[in-house]
Amino acid sequence: MLGYFIRRVLVLIPVSLAVSMVIFSIIHLIPGDPIDNLLKIGAGPEQREIMTARYGLDKPLAVQYWIWLSGVLQGDLGTAIVARRPVADLIAQALPHSLALGLCALAFSTFFGIVLGTIAALNRDRWPDQLIMTVVLLGSTVPGFWLGLLLILVFSVWLGMFPVSGARDWSAMVLPVLTVGLGGTALVARVTRVAMVEAGQRDFLMLLHAKGMRPARIQLRHVLRHALIPVVTILSLRIGWILGGAVTVEVVFARPGLGTLLIKSLNQHDYPVVQACLLILAMAVMLGTLAGDLIQAAMDPRVRAAL
Amino acid sequence: MGVVALKLSDTTLGRVMCRPKGVIAGTWLILVVFVAVFAPYLTPYEYDIQDLPNAFRAPDAAHWLGTDEFGRDMLTRIMYGARTSLSVSTIAIGISVFCGMCLGAASGYFGGRFDRAVTAVIDLTWSFPEILVALILVAIIGPGVTGAMVAIGVAYLALFTRLTRSQIMAIKSETFVEASRSLGASHGHILMRHLLPNTLAPVIVAAMLATGDAIILEATLGFFGLGAQPPTPSWGGLMSSGTAQMFKAPWIIIIPGVAVAVTVFAINLFGDALIHALDVRARVRES
Amino acid sequence: MKFTKHLLAASVSVAAIIATAPAVFAQEATIVLPSNTVGLTSYNPVTAILTNAASFLIFDRLVEVDAARSYHPHLAESWEEAEDGMSWVFHLKQGVTFHNGVPFNAQTIADWLPLYDGTDNAYYTAAIDSIQVVDEYTVKFVMKHPEPNLLYNLAIMGVPEPKSFVAMGENFGVTETIGTGPYKLESFDIGQQTVLVRNDDYTWGSPVAKNTGPAKFEHLTFREIAEASTAFLELKTGGVDMLLSVPADFVPEVEKQSDLKLVSVPGRELVYMVMNVVKEPFTDIKVREAAALAINQQEILDNIYGGIGQVADTFLISALPEAKVADDYRISFNPDKANALLDEAGWTMGADGVRMKDGQPLEVSLWTQSDSVFRRLSEVVQAQLKAVGISAEIATFDSAMIRDQYKSGEQQVAVRSYVWDNADIVDWFFGGDRLGYPNISMFNDPKAEELRAAAMTGSKSSDERIANFTAYHEYVLSQFPFAPIYQPVVSVGYNTSRISMPEVFDAPGIGSTVLMDMAPVE
Repeated sequence: MLGYFIRRVLVLIPVSLAVSMVIFSIIHLIPGDPIDNLLKIGAGPEQREIMTARYGLDKPLAVQYWIWLSGVLQGDLGTAIVARRPVADLIAQALPHSLALGLCALAFSTFFGIVLGTIAALNRDRWPDQLIMTVVLLGSTVPGFWLGLLLILVFSVWLGMFPVSGARDWSAMVLPVLTVGLGGTALVARVTRVAMVEAGQRDFLMLLHAKGMRPARIQLRHVLRHALIPVVTILSLRIGWILGGAVTVEVVFARPGLGTLLIKSLNQHDYPVVQACLLILAMAVMLGTLAGDLIQAAMDPRVRAAL
Repeated sequence: MGVVALKLSDTTLGRVMCRPKGVIAGTWLILVVFVAVFAPYLTPYEYDIQDLPNAFRAPDAAHWLGTDEFGRDMLTRIMYGARTSLSVSTIAIGISVFCGMCLGAASGYFGGRFDRAVTAVIDLTWSFPEILVALILVAIIGPGVTGAMVAIGVAYLALFTRLTRSQIMAIKSETFVEASRSLGASHGHILMRHLLPNTLAPVIVAAMLATGDAIILEATLGFFGLGAQPPTPSWGGLMSSGTAQMFKAPWIIIIPGVAVAVTVFAINLFGDALIHALDVRARVRES
Repeated sequence: MKFTKHLLAASVSVAAIIATAPAVFAQEATIVLPSNTVGLTSYNPVTAILTNAASFLIFDRLVEVDAARSYHPHLAESWEEAEDGMSWVFHLKQGVTFHNGVPFNAQTIADWLPLYDGTDNAYYTAAIDSIQVVDEYTVKFVMKHPEPNLLYNLAIMGVPEPKSFVAMGENFGVTETIGTGPYKLESFDIGQQTVLVRNDDYTWGSPVAKNTGPAKFEHLTFREIAEASTAFLELKTGGVDMLLSVPADFVPEVEKQSDLKLVSVPGRELVYMVMNVVKEPFTDIKVREAAALAINQQEILDNIYGGIGQVADTFLISALPEAKVADDYRISFNPDKANALLDEAGWTMGADGVRMKDGQPLEVSLWTQSDSVFRRLSEVVQAQLKAVGISAEIATFDSAMIRDQYKSGEQQVAVRSYVWDNADIVDWFFGGDRLGYPNISMFNDPKAEELRAAAMTGSKSSDERIANFTAYHEYVLSQFPFAPIYQPVVSVGYNTSRISMPEVFDAPGIGSTVLMDMAPVE
């Protein structure tokens, strides 16, 4: 198990390097020059050259990459060109908002997804199953930003229950969490149902039935436990989505999170910020995948035995 | 050839349509496509002629779904919007199915270093949320219909590459392939005649479901003002322009959203029916 | 490691965000800044070309202006201008200290004004030759030439603490900022919000405001919300207490709600369409004139702005004397003439309603910013241009970014607005040495430069300055580098259960005068 863990972590190193390289080069394909923002009015080409040199943007791309990478490895994400402050400060301001939203939404969709999926599986092909699965499917076909707008319209504008935008306190979290969480609930419910149905057809359950264990107990203690493996895998794969998947919702609710920061910096061609945001999102995705694999390994006796 | 008695239930489409879900979903989709194609003949209004004094009119007899912020008929805009949304999403998914199948088949069949490189890149983009991939690509290409198409196409490339690759891997060592190879068949022949046809069924289902997601993605790009540019209507663009006035004219955002949701829902139902009809396992949905 | 520390701080604040309950104190108010000031990058009164209401509270000015545009003491108690306009003497208020405890005196002025040299705002002090410290509280400006606009400039120029300003370099106004104003900067999240905390020692307010002592609110939060409709919904639902500019669209909605109140302030904004005179097809003055005459100002006023405010027919807001140009120079809707001009210029109407010349369609790219009011306006302008056979494709840019985008000079035609109430804005936007931005039109004409120099530096008295600027303004109008569209009225909307305000404001716009007299509701 430890060996497996070490192997997986070691593989991450070249992958992260490749990722950082891809991110860096893609960003330089975006048209527009952030230096425009710093130039004084009527500035000539000399001043542009001076500023370009100051931010190191005149060097070959490979050199720029090396400077950036060595900075990142020392914990320095650079200075935002348009926002004119350390990128780390901007990220540190934004990250908590995204994490809070993502974690709450994850908890929401895990809980309701498993409950609904279990109910559907226990009533397989009867009306509760069909009702739940239809509603859940509908939930995943609704655009996230639209759901957010509707929730704002109903709960903020008409009923006045929650704030329209921002991130002042917990009440501003309710609608964004609902919006992000409902989409995730659909996925979790569907996976849970399929996994429960498959786990329910295993041979050892016959044995438990034969031994006279109560069916409800079998379902909840054994079937659900087995069914949770794919659910956990899917969820851990979505850890990266906690940060990146809520971009549109963050924008709709004007939450000052990572997604909003990314979109704004993208619009303003503030490369250092875009790079840092994407790097953090990519890292989150990779760590999520790693966590998913490890959890899967730890939970599934067959995988564990194979290591 | 004699007379072939084609029994409806023998065709895939026939089997899909035998299920009630399939019938309902199929009918809605045919209706949407019909409306998109024949929009100019179905409405007395133009989609781009402004009538400012009549802006924000609630649904009534003259404008069944009301008017937008420039006094244009919402129903007309939705009908023309279906054109944009459907064509962008199907073409985008078409691009990504084609490229994904080529990449996936090549890397699955030949293996080796090429396979590892492709898998590494694909795994990475696959684990990134599609909306982020699309947003960054649009920033590079520039907003508009073409930008949106390419961005969505690339965002789903990973899905089809992975799917094709895993299918090819599964069957490339089966007896009939080995037999064909020992008979001296070329790589191209084996790929085209034996391997790719066998991957088709799951790819079709996945493409169907991905088209639904692509419609949502197109709407999201449109909502950010990155899709079709005004005055060309798209479902996402309609919602975007309605946001500012939603407390005053909520129908401007509600109706296009319902159109997106119902269409994507229908695509999913149809996809489900297709899964049963093609006998591809539920795995496709989970991948 | 720096970033690790941040991550730690971040994880702590995640918990804080989830756990904190709303903390609302009566001594606190949240104010939304107008969307046209969104994107301020620093509170630097010397170098910034964009300011917002918060900077009026952090910094004081030497003089203050009232609604009738006459000047009153603030940090300067009194002043005299020499007969020939070649020198000015200012007597400064005593006992004023900066936020960092440094006293304010004549030396402050002598250290501060030279800081403008070489910045985008250098023209404020360009007429001053030298500054003499007469005694601790008296300062004398020796002028290169008379500057009838000096008091106007001084009423805008916030006074920073010069020593810190030099010491902090580019961080001044970003991480920290030091003035003498009624509020100190507590935090500044760029593009998000600025939190100010009261300066309890403040006793030197301008007599234009009723309150000259410490401000009534302990904390003020200024939020930047680019999307006007979100800002309105926040006010409507009680999320914020005040909107410094309620978009005309939403004025009727605010009026409907009993706990909200509107106060109108004369507008200082002008919305216009600008054309790049060095880009085809606008190199042809006939095409420019035709495009300008295709704009139906009244239709836009009635339908986009709900009839609130007034149409614009020159480059200046109509309250300014320089806006009173001869009628021939006024630009207003005339579709027949627009069509005739385009025919004359060789652009013939094509079958699809787009004009053609030498096989080329008359197509232009129309730049606009991303907030909904501008996008909507641009779509109407697009339709109006289409009506005379000009096909415009809309390109949308981030509201905070579009100024930089103009520096490329790639724009053909753009819809935008400015906020200013002095005729020197014509110089700012059409001066030949500011091509790209602010001179988006790239207008650089020898005759205009001559008239401009006379207006900016050759005027000995106010009357002469008005005459010179009127002539310059008329000439620019005759060249059609732009089309005027609309002049709004600024409507301040606030929640009467949280804030009390005087009925009328003795100020030409939203500045410290308005904000000093704002008080919490007990």
